[in-house]
Amino acid sequence: MNCEHAKDQLVDYLSRQLSDAEQAALTAHLAECADCRAELQATQRLWQNLGAVRPPEPSEHLRPEFYAMLASFKEEVKATPDYSLKGLWQWWLNLEIPRPILRAVYSLCLVAVGLIGGYWLNNKPAAPAGEQEQLATLSAQVKQMRQVMVLSLIDNPSATERLRAVSYTKDMSAPNGKVVSALLSTLDNDPNVNVRLATLEALAPLAADPTVRLGLVHSLPKQDSPLVQAALADVMVQLQERRSVQPLRQLLEQPNLDETVKDKIEQSIQTIQTGRPAAPQSSPRHDQTRTSAQPELAATLAV
Amino acid sequence: MLRVKAGDVDRMGLLFERYHRPLFGFLYHMLGRSDTSEDLVQNVFYRMLKYRHTFTGEGEFRTWMYHLARNVLADHVKKNRHAKHHADVADVAEHLGGGAAADAGLERAQEVATLHQALARLSPEHREVLVLSRFQEMKYGEIAQVLGTTEGAVKVRVHRAMHELKSTYHRIEN
Repeated sequence: MNCEHAKDQLVDYLSRQLSDAEQAALTAHLAECADCRAELQATQRLWQNLGAVRPPEPSEHLRPEFYAMLASFKEEVKATPDYSLKGLWQWWLNLEIPRPILRAVYSLCLVAVGLIGGYWLNNKPAAPAGEQEQLATLSAQVKQMRQVMVLSLIDNPSATERLRAVSYTKDMSAPNGKVVSALLSTLDNDPNVNVRLATLEALAPLAADPTVRLGLVHSLPKQDSPLVQAALADVMVQLQERRSVQPLRQLLEQPNLDETVKDKIEQSIQTIQTGRPAAPQSSPRHDQTRTSAQPELAATLAV
Repeated sequence: MLRVKAGDVDRMGLLFERYHRPLFGFLYHMLGRSDTSEDLVQNVFYRMLKYRHTFTGEGEFRTWMYHLARNVLADHVKKNRHAKHHADVADVAEHLGGGAAADAGLERAQEVATLHQALARLSPEHREVLVLSRFQEMKYGEIAQVLGTTEGAVKVRVHRAMHELKSTYHRIEN
């Protein structure tokens, strides 16, 4: 052991902090080193004198004050049962949580409240299912009303009103059987050419329905107006309806058939039979086939 | 203390009888004022009652007590930051007398008085470890527990404190 190390250990030696082995080594060194012995003596004197530094006696008030405090504390403990709400609150107040953590927790809570609030407000308007139900029933009712209106208007003596009824059916997404049959009977029987044309226009998009197709085919021989005949022939070509060939032939046999219409029907029969779509030179659209319809047109205007 | 924790608060009286002197001594050395130290002794014992559930039973009661005492001391210093932290050296010297110093010769008494002044002039950190190891006769390991540090750090601090004490002592003497 060298002197430096020994001097380092003197305080530890005096305060009895050394282990037995360390102490033995130090004593051995001290026995042979006069310098360190002197150092030890100086330190020892200091250490002993330090021990002699005595604090004053505490005053005689200390003891009674302590017992008074103890007594009042006992009262306090008795007053508050161990697991009361107040006790919990006290415990919470006494809990020593570092401030930064507390702040972080507070801010996290605030953010959470904001998120929950925002989420709640956002979802609220979509919530009431009852309103949507009401809306659905209302729209169903409106639909029904429209159908009733169409059915009653279509029997109206005024051609304008009947036209309006037919145009209403175009707005309907899926007219029911009643409306369809009313339209078909209008197509067959209506005295006004314009109304029949409009009806045909309303029925054409519904041709996917077999009853509509059949009705259209059956209505062919019943038409006497060249305008409607031509328009029906066009629709048949568009639908590629082979069942219509027979009634079209019958039409050709009618004695008073318009020449233009005759040509057109022959062309249509040919197109339907060959299965090819109408050639470019084929008929202009039915609303434009006015060429030889002068008397009919005059009749239309007179209505 | 475990019995106090279990609800036998009266046992605290026993602990008071056994420990209030050393505790007072520690606080006195740290503060240099007798009246304030007495108040703080009360304060420490009150905290022991209040926070008795934090005493785990691991480690010694004494360690826990000084741990609390240091907290009380730190609170007190914080509260009185503007007030003078340590009493005048003259004031300290005045308190001397009686005890071992009186038995010894005049020369020794003088030495002790000077040493007391030197101790009062040390930084609180150094004074603390010296008081704990010399007056409370605590092992380094125990002191480390009180301060919340390692034994090695305590050892180094004690050595530095002794060194500082020596030089301060010689400065006063000359």
